[in-house]
Amino acid sequence: MAHVVLKDLVKTYGSFKAVNDVSLTVNDGEFVALVGPSGCGKTTTLNLVAGLIPITSGDIVIGDRVVNGLDPKDRDIAMVFQNYALYPQKSVYKNLAFPLQMRKLPRDEIDRKVKEAARVLDMTHLLERKPRELSGGQQQRVALGRALVRDPAVFLMDEPLSNLDAKLRVQMRSEIKRFHQDLKATIIYVTHDQLEAVTMADKMAVMNGGYLQQYDSPAQVFAHPVNMFVASFIGSPAMSLIPLEASTANGNTVLTGAEGWSLELSPRNAQKAARATTKKVVLGARHSTIKLHKSAVPGSVPAKAYTVEPTGDVTFVQALLSGVIVNISVPPNIAVAPDEQIWLEFDQERIHVFDGETEMALKAD
Amino acid sequence: MSAIAETASRGRTRRRRRVDGWQWAGRCFLLFMLLYTALPMIWMLITSIKSGFAATQFPPQWWPDEPTLASYQKLLDPQNSVGQDFLRFFWNSLFVSTVTTILSVIVAVPAAYAFSRFSFPGRNFLFFAVLLRNMFPAVIFLVPLFILMRAIGLVNTHGSLVLTYLTFGLPLAIWLLKGFYDNIPVQLEQAARIDGATRFQAFILIVMPLSTPGIIATAIYSFIGAWNEYIYAYTFLSKNDQLTLPVGIQRFFSENTTDFPGLMAASFMMSVPVVVLFLVLQRYFVRALTEGAVKH
Repeated sequence: MAHVVLKDLVKTYGSFKAVNDVSLTVNDGEFVALVGPSGCGKTTTLNLVAGLIPITSGDIVIGDRVVNGLDPKDRDIAMVFQNYALYPQKSVYKNLAFPLQMRKLPRDEIDRKVKEAARVLDMTHLLERKPRELSGGQQQRVALGRALVRDPAVFLMDEPLSNLDAKLRVQMRSEIKRFHQDLKATIIYVTHDQLEAVTMADKMAVMNGGYLQQYDSPAQVFAHPVNMFVASFIGSPAMSLIPLEASTANGNTVLTGAEGWSLELSPRNAQKAARATTKKVVLGARHSTIKLHKSAVPGSVPAKAYTVEPTGDVTFVQALLSGVIVNISVPPNIAVAPDEQIWLEFDQERIHVFDGETEMALKAD
Repeated sequence: MSAIAETASRGRTRRRRRVDGWQWAGRCFLLFMLLYTALPMIWMLITSIKSGFAATQFPPQWWPDEPTLASYQKLLDPQNSVGQDFLRFFWNSLFVSTVTTILSVIVAVPAAYAFSRFSFPGRNFLFFAVLLRNMFPAVIFLVPLFILMRAIGLVNTHGSLVLTYLTFGLPLAIWLLKGFYDNIPVQLEQAARIDGATRFQAFILIVMPLSTPGIIATAIYSFIGAWNEYIYAYTFLSKNDQLTLPVGIQRFFSENTTDFPGLMAASFMMSVPVVVLFLVLQRYFVRALTEGAVKH
């Protein structure tokens, strides 16, 4: 296994910049998820690492080698594709043997390694089948097997689970995670599904518009998003972002909503709001950090229930506040009707304050 | 209750009967098409085993009173002059068509692959430019091509025909094959390249085997096109020992009195290679033409 370093990586197509100055280090044995909406540059970044497309500028280091101009076959990588890319004319056995044959291994060693991989992935009985005779989950497993027979320095995975149905996806998710734990493999994993990234990765690199937004552990990204994009992209349901106006009176900082209500900030949050470039600040709150009240309590603000979504063990309430929809989770025994007048209380320890102009998270000392 | 059930069942039978009607219409149409294509062939075969006199009789003999294989014996006998000529024409046609087919596959495969996989300046322009030739009727190019062939000294050589047939066959071959390559996911080659193959190996080991049906279809197309072509062969070649079958047969039997059984026997034998080729390779051909029609 090996570490991977991307340094100021740039890929342009004409005047369009697909990847912009992306720098990050994947440590040996680390599982890193590249996550972002479609078109954010995550797959392009992966293809740059694989060598399938040439880089415009910057450096890619795998192990201790700069691999910028190297062919994919010389980079000591393995890749799992979204559509699995199994060779349709070859049996499972030959699919698994292909990377070893290309490396001119002796026949008995190929046989041994293929059978070992088949045993690990529990598909010994499938070896003689053609890919089209396999189910989606089995195809996915063969693709994984073809990557692991070779014992490469780095595994690259391009949305490997997105073609599977929901149930199988959850199952394969834990299999891949297990696979990473057992092999101590260095994995770069591309996904648009933030839940996959959060549940599987040691670190996640959130990308948007070709830029790396934040690179940190899922817990850190979840708890301390650096900007409004990351805040709204990670977590489900999404963090509510409420645009408000800050003002100071009698030494207290209050935020005023569009409906005219005001919310007094804790000293720490007041300090953050004071650092905004303008009066416009955005309050960010996850569903679990907002308390729903049926009557006004001190520190709460009035809102109107919009829709109610019971899911069984928790009920999600969407409320209209200051012109935006706010997500709140409540225990299922609390009945809320649409259009009902409710009051919301924010947990000031856990809310986020963003600059309304720059969209960056504001920090206290 | 029973009334409802009755109406429902009547509705069902009516619907089923209508489907049957369409099915019968379809069968009738297919039968008609079968007769339409098969009857001339059958008449050709029947005439070829008649004697010269029986072939021109009216009313016609639906089945010859004295079936004979004399025409075939004459054509295939290298000892007599008719047989010598026929076999030479046959060989000429086979040579020209085979060379055309091989060249067109050799050129079309890499060209189609390049059009499908690479982006390069002028790609779209070139791609539509190859079709330009097919926008005009073939005869329009007869005289210009003849002048061209004379200028480069190819008149009265088989090379002139091969070159000309390539200009017909290649555009179609490239288009057909490009559709084929478009349908092969690029990830297969990427996977192969990551698995240790060079770009060329990925093409030869992974893509080529997958495009075999397309290549076979292209080859059949080129072969049949070259095999049946008449007007260019008629114009470019004048020496008797170079003629291809379509021109040869026509010339050879209209010189004296028309020998219908001989003509039909020769025509039948001319159609044999094409029919055999088609029968052997038809499953590839059908797959090639329907592949890409539906998304997998």
